[in-house]
Amino acid sequence: MPLANTATSVPVVVDEAKCIADKGCTVCVDVCPLDVLRISDLTGKAYMKYDECWYCMPCEADCPTGAVTVNIPYLLK
Amino acid sequence: MFEPFEEFDQIPQIVEKLADRDAAVRRVAVMDLADTASPDVIAHIGSALKDPSPEVRLQAAIALGEFDGEPAAAALVIGLQDDDPRVAQAAADSLAELKEPTAAGPILPLTEHALPAVRVGALRGLKELRHPESLARGIRALSDPVAAVRVQAVGVVGYLKPEEALPALIACCRDVDADVRKAAIGALAFTRSPRVGEALIAALADASWAVREIAAEVLGKSRFRNATGPLIGLLTDSSWQVRVKAVRSLGQLQAAEAVHAIAGQLEHGISNLRKEAAAALGEIASSTALPYLEGLVNDPDPDVRKNVRWALGRIGQ
Amino acid sequence: MDEIRSGQSEVECDVLVIGGGTAGPMAAYKARKKNPNATVILLEKANVKRSGAISMGMDGLNNAVIPGHSTPEQYTKEITIANDGICDQAAVYKYAQNCFGIIQELDRFGIRFQKDENGEFDVKKVHHMGTYVLPMPNGETVKKALYRQLKRERVLISNRFMATRLLNGRSGRVAGAIAVNTRSGEFLIIKAKAVIMCMGAAGRLGLPTSGYLYGTYENPANSGEGYAMAYHAGAKLANLECFQINPLIKDYNGPACAYVAGPFGGYTANSRNERFIECDYWSGQMMQEFYNELLSGNGPVFLKLNHLHEDTANHIEQILHTVERPSRGRFHDGRGTRYARDMIEMHISEIGFCSGHSASGVYVDEFARTTVAGLYAAGDMASVPHNYMLGAFTNGAVAGEDAIDFANGVDLDGFDEDAVAIERDRVLAPTRREDGIPPNQIEYKIRRLVNDYLQPPKVTRKYELCQSRLAEVREDMEKAMVARDAHELMRAMEVASILDCADMAAHASLYRKESRWGLYHWRVDHPERDDEDWKCHVLLSKQDGEMTCEKHPVKPYIIPIADEEKDAYYNQRVKAHA
Repeated sequence: MPLANTATSVPVVVDEAKCIADKGCTVCVDVCPLDVLRISDLTGKAYMKYDECWYCMPCEADCPTGAVTVNIPYLLK
Repeated sequence: MFEPFEEFDQIPQIVEKLADRDAAVRRVAVMDLADTASPDVIAHIGSALKDPSPEVRLQAAIALGEFDGEPAAAALVIGLQDDDPRVAQAAADSLAELKEPTAAGPILPLTEHALPAVRVGALRGLKELRHPESLARGIRALSDPVAAVRVQAVGVVGYLKPEEALPALIACCRDVDADVRKAAIGALAFTRSPRVGEALIAALADASWAVREIAAEVLGKSRFRNATGPLIGLLTDSSWQVRVKAVRSLGQLQAAEAVHAIAGQLEHGISNLRKEAAAALGEIASSTALPYLEGLVNDPDPDVRKNVRWALGRIGQ
Repeated sequence: MDEIRSGQSEVECDVLVIGGGTAGPMAAYKARKKNPNATVILLEKANVKRSGAISMGMDGLNNAVIPGHSTPEQYTKEITIANDGICDQAAVYKYAQNCFGIIQELDRFGIRFQKDENGEFDVKKVHHMGTYVLPMPNGETVKKALYRQLKRERVLISNRFMATRLLNGRSGRVAGAIAVNTRSGEFLIIKAKAVIMCMGAAGRLGLPTSGYLYGTYENPANSGEGYAMAYHAGAKLANLECFQINPLIKDYNGPACAYVAGPFGGYTANSRNERFIECDYWSGQMMQEFYNELLSGNGPVFLKLNHLHEDTANHIEQILHTVERPSRGRFHDGRGTRYARDMIEMHISEIGFCSGHSASGVYVDEFARTTVAGLYAAGDMASVPHNYMLGAFTNGAVAGEDAIDFANGVDLDGFDEDAVAIERDRVLAPTRREDGIPPNQIEYKIRRLVNDYLQPPKVTRKYELCQSRLAEVREDMEKAMVARDAHELMRAMEVASILDCADMAAHASLYRKESRWGLYHWRVDHPERDDEDWKCHVLLSKQDGEMTCEKHPVKPYIIPIADEEKDAYYNQRVKAHA
């Protein structure tokens, strides 16, 4: 069976103006237990690539610049 | 082939980045240095506390919380006096993480700093270190003009548990600030000195319910037998949470004379209080409590029923 | 990142620890401490800095045996009773004796426990039962403090490697493990003299009621690899039918932490604002009472704090919203819930395996040894019942110290090179397909079936239907699952573990033909507890390729429990007369 892409709204939001991933910071990507964050090749900033979130918050708590916000996933909020 | 392990010996390469023109790169370097967990990097992170960018200084103050001992304390003391309040607060938080008594050295002089926030941070850091030299400074700080400083000073003194500080701690039981009074009463739990008993009994009439609550608790914990009368008086307190502690302490004191007053609490609408009252009657184990307890075997609350059964069992023995 | 690369490295070590959450770092630390010349590798699927059940921290200990507040004997008795008698006491007793030393050690690491104004541990008093609650209002520093210790002891940390199978040695010992990188698909073969598995609960077994795959009670990274790997290596697993089911905040699906609120006067209430739980212990009996109340006209069930003074309620809110699961505050904000004013709706969790909360785990003795020589297990996945976080630390330490001694006495065992090739083929199969079924769909279907059929009450016919459906899904998984990058490959491997765990849950539950542990093993077709035939462990293992169960006697108690003592506890649960 062929694959399709289904849209999903992801809970983790990154403020690109504050994110310093382009300066070598990888904190949020490192600390995610589910490994769902990545740094974009296009913008150099962090973003949520996979909608597989435990809303546990190390990405937000450990971000040095306060760029990351974890929202409660829509299905359970 | 690939290298599967985290690296250990990259410190010189990271340190180079501390001199980068971009503050964000310097910031990342501070985090990377902290991740090495090597004591060799403390001096480098300390130098970042003098960085022109407050963000880098903030990161350095946070990072030093990962280290211990005199060098970390000496660096944090600089951060504690930073002009940027975020840096100073982060340094204070990191100081509170220290464990090694030798870390006290650089902190001690700051208990008399001109800025109250620095005095608070210094005393908060000293508390856990339990350094003998902090006692005299702590006692002096008990009469600091700023309440937040006095609260921390109570902690420093209380952790050392010195008999000679009793007069000063007892004086704090009458402090104008309720948080100071509450902390001081908690700090007096290490002694059964009669002077302390008097101060605690006096605190049962405090205007703040939280102070009355802790005074009632400590009187039981320290087994002040002469407190039963005043504790019985507390069973009409407007706060049921205060009454809970009074009941518990009367149970610990095995105050047979309190049975009727405690039994009065078995009618209270809050089940927490009924539960405590039943348990206290069990601890006192006087047969005069039997009729009161028997009336409660079908209480709607299972915890109350359990304590009633337990109490009836104790009295039966 | 994430493109599949072909690559393979081999490393050797004395002790391999798999899993960098709670037990694992402690095991690795203790092994290196005991033998500083040994090579100790800590392998972690995520990153040791923030992995495992306590990635964000922990707000308190609920099983701290602290001198002056409780005794190891009393604790061992209470755990034995909470487990309906199925308990090898030696490991529990050893935990109870060691755990205070571990608390003091953690305190030195910089992990903060609540202290009173005299600097003493502020243990919360509960009447006439043992007192085990020690709050950690600043417990968010746990993981960072552990990480520092690992770096200082120069433990070799290998992040983003997911172990998929153990290597069985030619002499019957464990010989190491095979792992795959979760971002590149490269393989790492680790030869080891001893292996300690600290891989957490099987927390992604049932589906949360929200339907969100990752909205689980446990950290969803704990997907049961430890259970599956131990099974395939021939180790025995104990009492898997004693499921984990926990009370939680409805929809948010995180712990309600009534034990944190309890000492302040908070409690679990029904819709009439009354307590309803009779049972004194966190146990299957307690969960049965919770379940009954939810289904009766007395539900919903709430965490009640609004009878407390506003300052007290706000203080509890502040603790619960900052430490273990801080997004809980955000969840309540979204709904406008304030603890000082509103009751907090609760529910029960999906099922899982977890000895940390119940008793389902890889069978270990008091040295954390499994039934395979050189293979150890600790933490949520090992069979020491009601471990919780402090048990993971304490038994992790036991495992590390015993494993390093074992490793000192042996050489690396040889293994069949074909095993590596076979495992590579199994792992990479989903990456070699152009299209097919993605892991998330297979996972959803397995976990939906688990909810439909395996969730208690356990009905024989439903279990048999589930086994048929799961066999069909297994065929789909083996023939059609597709992974397009290394991240999806990790998920695909997790799905295989989840399916193995679902099969084991069904098999073990069908074998024990009685009801025990309250809701955890409520078998409708065998509704009574049957001590004559079933006061024993059930051990599940792979024999000649087949899933097999056997009865195994409970070891003689070292802390005897008199009948009247048991009765004294049970009598306190008597219900009110109508």
